[in-house]
Formats: sequence, C-alpha cells, structure tokens
Amino acid sequence: MSPRVAMAAAVLAMASLPVLGETIAIVDATVHTMTQEQPLRNATVLVRDGRIEGVGANLPVPSGARVIEGRGRIVTPAFMNSATQLGLTEVSSISAASDATVSSGQLGAAFDVRYALNPRSLAIRQARVDGLSRAIAYPGGSAGAPFAGLGALLHVARDEAVVEQPGIAMFAQVGGETSTAAGGSRSAQWQLIRNALEEARLQRGSARSSPRDSFLARIDLAALKPVAEGMLPLVVDADRESDIRQAIALARDRKVRIIVKGGVEAWRAAADLAAANIPVVLDPSINLPLYFDHLGARADNAALLHAAGVLIAFEVSSIHTTFNAGFALRDVAGLAVANGLAHRDALAAITVNPARIWKIEDRYGVIAAGREADLLVWDGDPFEPMSSLVAVLAQGREVDLTTRQILLRDRYLPGEKEQLPPAYRRSE
Amino acid sequence: MRLVWLAVLAALAAQSAETRDQGRTPSPVASFAADPLPSTYRPLPREDVLIVDATLLDGVGAKLADADILLRDGKIANIGTNLARPDGVKVVEAAGRWVTPGLIDVHTHNGTFTLPLVFEDPPTWDVSEMSSPNVAETSVDHAINARDPGFILALQGGVTTLQVLPGSAPVFGGRSVVLKTIPGRTVQDMKFPGAQQGLKMACGENPKGNWGSKGQAPTSRQGEVAMMRAAWLGAREYMRTWNHYLAENHEDARDPRERGPGGRERRDRPPPARDLQLDTLAAVLNGEVRVHLHCYSSDDIAVMLAIADEFGFRIAAIHHAVEAYKIADRLAAANVCAAVWPEWWGFKMEAFDGIKENAAFVDAAGACAVMHSDSPFIGQHLALEAAKAVAAGRRAGLDLGRERGIAWITSNPARALGLEDRIGRLAPGYNADVVVWSGDPFSIYSKADQVYVDGALAFDRADPKRQPESDLLLGHPARETRK
Repeated sequence: MSPRVAMAAAVLAMASLPVLGETIAIVDATVHTMTQEQPLRNATVLVRDGRIEGVGANLPVPSGARVIEGRGRIVTPAFMNSATQLGLTEVSSISAASDATVSSGQLGAAFDVRYALNPRSLAIRQARVDGLSRAIAYPGGSAGAPFAGLGALLHVARDEAVVEQPGIAMFAQVGGETSTAAGGSRSAQWQLIRNALEEARLQRGSARSSPRDSFLARIDLAALKPVAEGMLPLVVDADRESDIRQAIALARDRKVRIIVKGGVEAWRAAADLAAANIPVVLDPSINLPLYFDHLGARADNAALLHAAGVLIAFEVSSIHTTFNAGFALRDVAGLAVANGLAHRDALAAITVNPARIWKIEDRYGVIAAGREADLLVWDGDPFEPMSSLVAVLAQGREVDLTTRQILLRDRYLPGEKEQLPPAYRRSE
Repeated sequence: MRLVWLAVLAALAAQSAETRDQGRTPSPVASFAADPLPSTYRPLPREDVLIVDATLLDGVGAKLADADILLRDGKIANIGTNLARPDGVKVVEAAGRWVTPGLIDVHTHNGTFTLPLVFEDPPTWDVSEMSSPNVAETSVDHAINARDPGFILALQGGVTTLQVLPGSAPVFGGRSVVLKTIPGRTVQDMKFPGAQQGLKMACGENPKGNWGSKGQAPTSRQGEVAMMRAAWLGAREYMRTWNHYLAENHEDARDPRERGPGGRERRDRPPPARDLQLDTLAAVLNGEVRVHLHCYSSDDIAVMLAIADEFGFRIAAIHHAVEAYKIADRLAAANVCAAVWPEWWGFKMEAFDGIKENAAFVDAAGACAVMHSDSPFIGQHLALEAAKAVAAGRRAGLDLGRERGIAWITSNPARALGLEDRIGRLAPGYNADVVVWSGDPFSIYSKADQVYVDGALAFDRADPKRQPESDLLLGHPARETRK
C-alpha cells in the first residue's frame, strides 16, 4: 500500500466512525436489500447509531426504538449518481457561481475540484431530500485537454462533511464535441492521453526528466502518476464506439483502470467492455442522436450492456446533472426498465453497482447489517413518477424534507388568502 | 403585384352592427396573416376503427372504464360502453389499455434543431434568425427540415400535434408553425390545416444576454420592453394606415355617385408600402396571430400582461413560466396559459425559484396549465412530465387525478394553440387524434401502442409497416445490429 493510499484509508476510517443517533425501526416494509434477487416482504430494518443493525422478517424491535410504519411501503438504499456537478455549480449561467470547469490558466490534469466543493449548496440539499446518498462531482474541463482533472466522491447524505473522498478519479473527454480544445481531432485527444501516461510512467522512480521532451507540467504529471500506475481510475467521457474501443485498447496496453462515462454507443462494444472489466456510467434515457457521436443511440443501451456482463451505473444529463441529480435518476432508471432492463438491475445501477465501481461497497450500496443507514422509504415504486419519498434516513437520522423549494411552495400554496403579501408568510 | 396583394387582403373581418344597420356594405379590414407556404397535408390512408374496453381519459376531466370509442372518417364518432360493432369497422381490443387524446406539445424546435445536431454549425442550425432582436418578418416554417427524427420520436411518444417555435434570443422571434407529427416529405405536408400561426416573443435574460453581450440593444429588461412598445406602436399605425386605405378605396367602389373631383385619384392611390415585420405584429393586434411568449419570472410575466393590455392583444401562452405559480391568479384572469416543465430550476437566476408544484398551482388557480418539452428527449415523454407535476400537486395537498393532469398535455395546449374545438379532447366531432397506451399513461413503463392522427394509424408498436423511420437515420452502420 503506497503512503498516499494508506493515508486515504486512514481518512476514510475516520470518516466512517459511527454517528450517534436514535434507534429507528422501519417495520412491515418491502425491503430491496440489493443483496438478494427478490425484495424482502413484511420485513423490518433496524437502525442504530447511524448504521443498519439488522434487516429481515420477524426482527424484534427494541424498546425505545422509534417505529416507522412501513405498511407495505418500499425501502431502498439511498441512491448514488455517478456523474454530477453538485457542489460545484450554484447557478449555471453565473460564472462566479460555477467552479466545475477551468478553460485557461496553468492547470491541466492536476485541476482538482476538491477545494471548490460547497457543502452548503442548495443543489446538494435538494439532492439529499430527493434521495441521494452519494455522488461523484466531476470536473467539466481543464486547461490541459483532453484531461478535465480530478473528481471527488461526495457523501450527499452527510450534512457536515459532504466531501468524502477527493481525487477519486481522473477525468478525460474524448469525441467530436470536445476535440476542439485538443486541436480539433479526437486522434489528438488519444495521442495526448497516451503521451501523458507515458510521461507519467517515465517519471516514475526517476527524478530526472528532460523538460524539453515533456508536454506536461510537473503538477499535471504528479496528478497522472497514480493513473499510469493503475492505482487511480481514468474516467473516459466518450460516446462513439471507436472511442470506446480506443479506451479498451488503452486499458489493455497501459494497464490503466478505465471507467467509460457517456457510452451512448457502448452497446456496440458490450462484450469487449465486459471482457476488459470496464464499467460504464450512462444516461439510459438517451435514445436519439443528439450528436454525431450518438448516431448509434438506443433506448436499450443499458439492458444490452447489462446482458453482456458490463457493470453499469447511471448519470443524468442536461441541467439535471446539477439541479436534479437525485430526482432525475428515478426517471432514467425507470426508462431503462421500460426498455428491457430488469427492475432490480436498474435499482442496482444507482446503488450497489456504483458502490462497486467507486470502491465503497464496504459501507454503501446494500441494506445489510453494519452498513451505513442511508435509506429511502417510498409510497410506491421509486421509478414511477406518481410515487413519492415519504422518509429519508441519512446516517440513521430522519432528514427534514424541507428545502427552499418547499418553502416557496408553502408560501404560494393555493387557497392562502392572507391580506399581507407572500413575503410575510414565514415558516416557523 | 398589386392584384396579388389585394387578393391577400381579401379576408374580411366581421363588421360592426352599426354599419350593417345603416345598410352599408361592410368595409374591409386588412388581413396580415396570409400564409405563403400553405398546407398540403392529407390524412394517411385510414379505415374506421372501434377501440373497445379501454380505460379512457377524455382530456377534459373525465375518466371512463371499459369504454369504447369509434373513429369514423377521421373524426371521433361515438364514445360509450358496449357500442355496436358496425360491419366494416376494424375492432381494436384494448382491455387493460388506456386511451387518451393525441398529445400536444406547444414548444419544440424540431426541424430547426435537427438531429443529429451540431451546436456550432451555422449551416445546420436554424432555430432563429440572429441578425436583429426583431425578426418578426421571419417564419420558422421556411427553415424546417422535415426529416428531423424528432418528429417521429414525438409521434412514437403519443404526440399528434406540435408547434415549432423560433428561439428566445430575439425579442420578436418570428412566426411559429403548428404541425402534425405525420412525417411528410416537406413541412407543408405536415402543416395543420387552418391552425393559426404564432409569434414567438421573448423577455428576460435571453434577449438582453444575447444582444447586450454584442453591445447592441436591448441590454436590459427595460430596454426589451421599450423595444416591444415601440414596435407595437409602429404596428398599430401600420394597421391603421392599411385599414384606412382599404376603407377609402372601398367607399369609392361602393358608390360611384360619390366620386367627386379627386375621387379617381383617391381610388388609384397606391397602397401603403408593405412591411413583412409589421405584417406579423399587426396580425397579432387584429387577432390573427397568437403570441407565444418565452418568459420565466413573475415580474416579467406581469409586465408582459400589462403590455398586452396597453396594445389590446392577448398572449396565448407564457412558455417556460417557471414562476407562474406566483401570479397564477393573474394568468387566470387574463386567460393566458402557462407552459412549464415539472422540475427545471436553478440553471439561471430567472429559473432559480422553480418548484415542482408549478403546474398544479396554476391549475388550482383556474388558469390553463400546459406541460411543454423544448427538447426532443422530453417531447417523447410528455405524460411523464404531467405525472411528475400531478404527483407534486398531490403532495402539496391538492386533489388532483390523472383525468385532470391529462388536460395539461391535451385540451389545455389545444387552447394555447386556438385549436380547442378540433383537438385535445375525446368527444364526438373532434379530430380522431387518439393514443392507445399499453397501460396507465402516467406510468413510466407504459408506451404508446397505437397513435391515430385524423383517424389514420400513424404509428403501431406491433406493426413495422406503421413505424416510420427518418431518412437521416437510415443506413448508418452505427445503428445496425449484428446479424
């Protein structure tokens, strides 16, 4: 274990200390544990001190426990969105309120979003109430294309310490929509990626490197070193089959850990992705060719990838990447089911699968004794638009579901016939 | 040329009773809405169809169980239970399935934001003419690529009528067009016969952001409004000039005895100069063209309602009305629809206060709530949009059902388009635009099994012969599945 990894492990151990809280029993619920093929019916989930103490039928409820009556309601792990810009963007149109991307300056692959992340972001609060436990916050671009920089793992459900693991992966962008920054060709993007990894590899164990032969600055090479060593995943944001196959080739040639993000045409390379053990983070609602790189878009992309044995996780697109990072996951997962993915496998793509991809399965992703109690209670199928979340447990504590949107809602509720303007309607 | 223009003016508006009482021939009122690109739409080949045993949402508040609906000669002929099965009528068994009116999307950029699109490629990008903040002289139907797969995807999602609007960078974006989702060879083959054109207008951040950043007016909201008011003043004067000209010439023609000295000269006076930009604005003032206004904030919406009052026109719908819920009572009083998304918020300041209950609160105030897409992705899932908005309203304590929410994507958008007597409702005499859903349309798992447009089966999920595919997607190796 390298010193860096050891330090990260120590930080994680500290971060996952139990949180003192009340004992809660969710009883008579249909529990999607994600450890079994079928959900448990009429089951109890017992939560103590921020952790799941047990799950199953006929669990005794300790005296003093607060009981949440399930009445057959559905309990799932809280969700994970594998590609957001939560905490980096408050209002996308305002540059002063956006920290996701740099387009000039010195920083290439070394650009790291960790110092910008704002735990008090409205969008994070909204995502928590919409059912998100975890999210990846990824950089939108750097001055050293095609590398976008280092992303972070957020524990959205944890109010005080949202940034759980900075530097969780290196991100790079490849394809027709992003090639301009690399000179105008995706070929240049791949050459620059391969060269950067080669420079980082040559730097390994040697203090001497000739600046004249190097494209990259010291700080960028340092950021890429763990990628070149296979210690840190490289997330390749690409959609066209040819680029996805280049990513597979890179993983093979350079022993780099690759995660494909985007992956609109990934179904065309599904068998090879599975063979190379490369996961895909995708938005399964993309069924039409928004770009030329999307010509092969299909509604059953997720189903085809899963059937081929590819580990899949979901993201959402457009404004939802930041502003509905939790809410919109339900739609895209439901559309994946409507187009051939089993319900359980769609739920896995926003819980246990990302836990495996981002290597946090020791604490997140399933409902089992010892895991963190980030749980959701639903009044119906979570993917159905007419269903609602009735309770959110974050670290074993029930979350106040009030958000700024709820305060606005209550201020303008129909039927309010007060004499004073809405601004006087203050919540208690 | 003059004859052509006079022919264009031939449409006559209703005359005052006073004029009729005096036994005088009504004087003509100028029409400014003539369509130089008329519809060539013809319904697809069709047969009469009886859909039986469905759960039916009629679009205006009723839900019927085990309902039958008869489509005859392109119209809805009858709705009921256990209808007679006439000879020669094809029967579609729909037990367990749901039937709704064809959905209506009042806000798309299909055909101008053509897939696969290239954001920075001017040759393929025709959402708006971008040379001026007032391009009221343009008509978006002159730019539409009928082979955009977005039309077919909308059809597959149960949409039978949609409006293509220009974009929101200009203050006056030009004329819109209402289309059927039948994939015609040209836009003319898709144009909804008799549908009014719209005028796209925009307020708030987009126009001032676009022109202001180029150092051009408008650079502010007050600049946008001043530009609008100046344009409406000009349009009013233009309309007066034309009406005056027509009245004078008409008087001459009516009574030759009144031709005094100069009469001949007056009759032969050349018509006023025609101005395409003012034509569009004057057509709004005389009610021929409907205003579709991009406007997010309640402040901006309230200003726009006042401007409409000042110049005597009505706004058909406020689009992207993210803050409509804050002034829903005023929208109801002005009879203006609010076209909204269920959950978009945060991406700019005028969208910052978006709440999921927006449509439900607009509806509860008695105003006309509409769900719109603005995107070919969302345009496939309008019922999902309505479902999310209904669910939010229910969480807020409102008594809202599917039979109400379906109005937001059927009869209410029909009102916004001025087509409420023809589409958006399942009732005898209405156009037979009908969707048979695999199940509850408010479920994410349901799909449009069959889509009828004017009684013709335009899409059938079970029949490849009724599954159109766009030229643009044909033959791409990337779309082939392995043999």
